[in-house]
Amino acid sequence: MRIDARNLLDRLGKNDFAYKEFEDRFSELELWPILEALLRDPRLQAIDQAEATVAAMPEPAPTEVVETYSGESLSSLFSRYGRGPAADAPGDRRGGSQQQDVRAMLRHLSDLGSQGKI
Amino acid sequence: MPVIVTHGLKGGAGTTFTAAHIAMALSEAGADVTVLTVAKRDTMPLHFGLQPAMTLPSLFAPAEDAVLVAGIDLRSLTTAPEDNDFVPALRDLGFLETGQDKVMVIDIPSAEFAFARRVIPHASASVCVINAAPDTLALMPQVLAEASPENIAATSFVINALDETRRLSRHSSAFIRELVGARLLGRIRLDESVPEAIAMLQQLSKYAPSSAALADAKAIGTALVPALETPGRPWVARGSSPASSSSRAA
Repeated sequence: MRIDARNLLDRLGKNDFAYKEFEDRFSELELWPILEALLRDPRLQAIDQAEATVAAMPEPAPTEVVETYSGESLSSLFSRYGRGPAADAPGDRRGGSQQQDVRAMLRHLSDLGSQGKI
Repeated sequence: MPVIVTHGLKGGAGTTFTAAHIAMALSEAGADVTVLTVAKRDTMPLHFGLQPAMTLPSLFAPAEDAVLVAGIDLRSLTTAPEDNDFVPALRDLGFLETGQDKVMVIDIPSAEFAFARRVIPHASASVCVINAAPDTLALMPQVLAEASPENIAATSFVINALDETRRLSRHSSAFIRELVGARLLGRIRLDESVPEAIAMLQQLSKYAPSSAALADAKAIGTALVPALETPGRPWVARGSSPASSSSRAA
């Protein structure tokens, strides 16, 4: 670490330093097409299956995990964002990708960020 | 004597750095730790402040040949990915059992994904190190399609070298968090002191004790301590309440 940065941290009484997370308004920004493409890829379903497997496993010893987490599986995430058929038919939520409300998901991520949950 | 596996989706994710610091955190927690690298091009010694010319001794080399750094036994076995008897050999050496008396952290290069698949079912924890970057995200569907449901379920994730000042990094990180959910162990912030410590041939903890990446990596390693009590059944992160987060940006 540069000495001037070290001195600044000492004056601030901090050991490290990070930018505050910006309150991105995803809905106001252009979408990243790669995120939209990934959300429409049915192979991501494997995460949902894994979540079910994890849920069926015995609870491990309590531990503090570093990251925050909203406590929802991807499937519940999508069912909550979904509009119309996508919300009514979870099994079809990525197969019927045209109904996928990607913008709503990103808006939700923005809300979580502004609430300090992610 | 549990085994913890670190691996990644693509090269350059920082798997070796993460493995080294998980080992250090477990050692500080009281575990007797062996680090095993199976990479033919190995950078593990650099994360322990060793010389670049250092070649680590074989897993099967006698104790007098051991390279010990801060009590951590550094070993190499480049033939392991092709050796079908590797897991039985681990068992014969006394690993794959419970407790902290002997722990092995195996760092597996991204190209050796088939080897990782073989070892993960026997590990107490599988840690996949990823970057919040679009090329990494693009690989996720393929990797998930190739992996067994059991191995996916057994894997926890770490976001490494996260630059929270960059919009795309923040968006990609948020995407990963939503995707992997409770199994996100945490994130390690991008920190120039990491390569600087390597260049200085020092351990990061010596070169930059206040390093943000050091604090993040240590927290992740500490979070893995419960995994030492789950031999033969992979421990996975299960998240926590928002109030208990300790790594939010200042």
